Amino acid sequence: MLFNSLTFIVFFVVVVALYWSIGSWTLRKNLLVVASYIFYGAWNPPFAALLFSTTAMDFWLGRQIGKAKDLRAKKRWLVASVCMNLSMLGFFKYGNFLLQNFQWLVARVGIIYQPPHLDILLPVGISFYTFHSLSYTLDIYRGVLQPTRSLRDFVLAVSFFPQLVAGPIVRAGDFLPQLKHPPRLKTNQFLWGLALMTLGLFEKTVLADTLLSGPADRIFGYAGPLVAVDSWAGVLAFAGQIFFDFAGYSICAIGAALTLGFHLKDNFRFPYAAIGFSDFWRRWHISLSTFLRDYLYIPLGGNQVRPFHMALNLVIVMFLGGLWHGAAWTFVVWGLLHGSYLVIERIFRIFFEQKPWSGTLPVRLLAGFATYSAVCIAWVFFRAADFTIASRMLTGMFGGHPNGDMILSTRELLQIGIVTAGVIGMHWTMREESFETTVMRLPAWAITAIGSVMAFAIIFTQGTSNAFIYFQF
Amino acid sequence: MRSFISNFKERLRLPRMFFRRPSREEQIHGGPPLEFERPIPPAPWRGIAVVITIVVTAATVAWELYVRSLGYGPTLNDNEDLWTLRRRAVEPESLVIIGDSRGWYDVDLDEFQKGLGKRPIQLAGGGMCGFPVLEDLAKDESFHGTIICSIVPRLFFAPPGTPPFERGAKVVKRFHNQTPAQRASQYLAMPLEEHVAFLKQEELTLDDYLKNLPIPNRSGAQISPRLPPYFGTEDRERRSRMIEECANPNGELARRIQQIWLPLFQPLPPTYVPKDVFMKQMGEAIGKRFRDIADAVTKIRARGGKIVFVRFPHSGGLKEIEDRDQPRARTWDPLLQQTGAPGIYYSDFPELKDFQCPEWSHLSAGDSVEFSKRLVPHLRAALKM
Repeated sequence: MLFNSLTFIVFFVVVVALYWSIGSWTLRKNLLVVASYIFYGAWNPPFAALLFSTTAMDFWLGRQIGKAKDLRAKKRWLVASVCMNLSMLGFFKYGNFLLQNFQWLVARVGIIYQPPHLDILLPVGISFYTFHSLSYTLDIYRGVLQPTRSLRDFVLAVSFFPQLVAGPIVRAGDFLPQLKHPPRLKTNQFLWGLALMTLGLFEKTVLADTLLSGPADRIFGYAGPLVAVDSWAGVLAFAGQIFFDFAGYSICAIGAALTLGFHLKDNFRFPYAAIGFSDFWRRWHISLSTFLRDYLYIPLGGNQVRPFHMALNLVIVMFLGGLWHGAAWTFVVWGLLHGSYLVIERIFRIFFEQKPWSGTLPVRLLAGFATYSAVCIAWVFFRAADFTIASRMLTGMFGGHPNGDMILSTRELLQIGIVTAGVIGMHWTMREESFETTVMRLPAWAITAIGSVMAFAIIFTQGTSNAFIYFQF
Repeated sequence: MRSFISNFKERLRLPRMFFRRPSREEQIHGGPPLEFERPIPPAPWRGIAVVITIVVTAATVAWELYVRSLGYGPTLNDNEDLWTLRRRAVEPESLVIIGDSRGWYDVDLDEFQKGLGKRPIQLAGGGMCGFPVLEDLAKDESFHGTIICSIVPRLFFAPPGTPPFERGAKVVKRFHNQTPAQRASQYLAMPLEEHVAFLKQEELTLDDYLKNLPIPNRSGAQISPRLPPYFGTEDRERRSRMIEECANPNGELARRIQQIWLPLFQPLPPTYVPKDVFMKQMGEAIGKRFRDIADAVTKIRARGGKIVFVRFPHSGGLKEIEDRDQPRARTWDPLLQQTGAPGIYYSDFPELKDFQCPEWSHLSAGDSVEFSKRLVPHLRAALKM
């Protein structure tokens, strides 16, 4: 079920109305579990059973970790949980990818092996809910969370419908405490939740789908060489599209959760105003970057190791982060590029961070521009279906096709330019504060006017129920 | 004294997190408890919500009245979910219409039902290559009904990767992969679309208004030609009818659409492939398509199914282009020859050949009924009914 669909509107109205009209907290939680499974089953009902089985397994494994007397036993149960989750992810998401690479590898030594093509349907949002669930056993092992006694509460923590399929990745430790006491219906909180949902839908349907997705799709789908202007326009369009698509989903999820009385953390914090790549990853897909930091980077040694190992850790983490997004080498290259960016940034810091000029405005602006440009170059690998397309795009971007084709209309170029300038300008304006602070500064009439324009624009665009990009992950 | 704003900013920057010894109740859910509360910007939210609701409702009503004043009326959007709804209605012995928009606009389902004894299921569509649908029906082992297949050579022989083929492939894919949520959304959308005129995807959306902005393009830019504007209505059976405003061949709308067909039916070859290579590739693709069509037809006929190809009327400058670029001798004749299936070419029959298409490609709603009535005896003969 997509947030930008009529089915969701009806579903959401019914769920919210029932939820706030029921007095019993237990019944309300049961309702949310049922609603979340309907929400998920609306894509493919059998996968709801898969979701439940992995959740139930982690619930049981969490209890075993909690009960285990010594560290070795805890570790054994944790390994079981990690293997169970990752093998599920591996089978559904990486099965064919692994087989294809195995075929390529054995062919290098002269063995002709034709693997069967596994007709595997990827359960939507499997990467997200696997991480929701995995955070539970990892946190119990780390000693920061006690196993819950309620299977129902854990099922709800993993499957809570606003964040189930495309994040934010909500850790069980952040959600379970919210199930202690029933939230009260607070009008302002409820209406703010609806306002966030409107903003999220506006970002998705108007900015991402209407203004940017068409040019981005055409440029990345074009089979011929393109001139630099069109190549860059396509990349900038995709940079904007993926931000508005994913941030829009996250904001919708946060808003929907708020209307039900739950608090989810920010997943984006004005990332295109990042100065440097560490800063970028503190602002982009925060729930994933903190997950990788806490459960992978720090256990690998984090910053507390020798510089070479730290660099290696960064590259390993970003390599896996890239692979998490999809079973393709283009995603791996995207991850490795970001890993390299982080390493280069650390080297720069060693030499230049203490210089008096390093904090001046021109240098910060220049660093911000360089960060955004490098992020855009990495997006080429994220969006391109294969390396041929990525290579053609990069060649075009750096002037390698002076006689290439021009396929975007002037109107599309203007659209991309205006939206890109707008998003970068807004991110720089708000980079030091929260979105809520910005809203707080606005007079009521301005909030009303902006809200009206966004709501009407959503109706005006009508939407075509395009799936959110991150659903495929 | 610190201002309210600075206090608030502090709260926003430092979400309320605190650690303490968890109570027994909290231990049930995990501890130490990490509590986080999203800040709610202070504003008169109740009043804002009321005003937004009133403004948006008023703007929507005004928008609806405005588009009705422009001549738009409520009609269903033709999308893959509506198509899937009809595809699901196909039974083993169904009578099915597939192909392009001529088989979609020019067929009256009532007349076919009267004349052929079965109500046909309309699976043809605008700008659609019917081959993916034909292939899918051929793969459906249970299907042994009758297919009426509309042929516009530029569309039916379009190779994979081109828009006509992808439209056909897309609906077939949706039929096989439609989720319960997509199905539910279609059922919810239909009553709305039947009563609200502005709900027209690809016509009255922000995107379409932006496309119509008079901004000149760069010289040398290869910009895809526009698709024709709204000129028909559609019901739940996917029966399409040309609107009255378009039925006059000298009317503004019909003349505008006539000029839109011309670039659409004469696409330029890609610049990045040498012309001779491209022509060779096209020749190979068309040759393969002939073989694939013959295979599909053989499969359907082997199960007792029937198929008839139909060339529907077209007129004016569009007919000249089609006759020049896809002459009958290179498309229609080999199609019948290689498949061994019967065919009805409208201009072969005096009672069918004089229909005029107001916008050169489709019959008016009135003519589609008369044409269907006259086509029925030929279909009966071709299908040996």
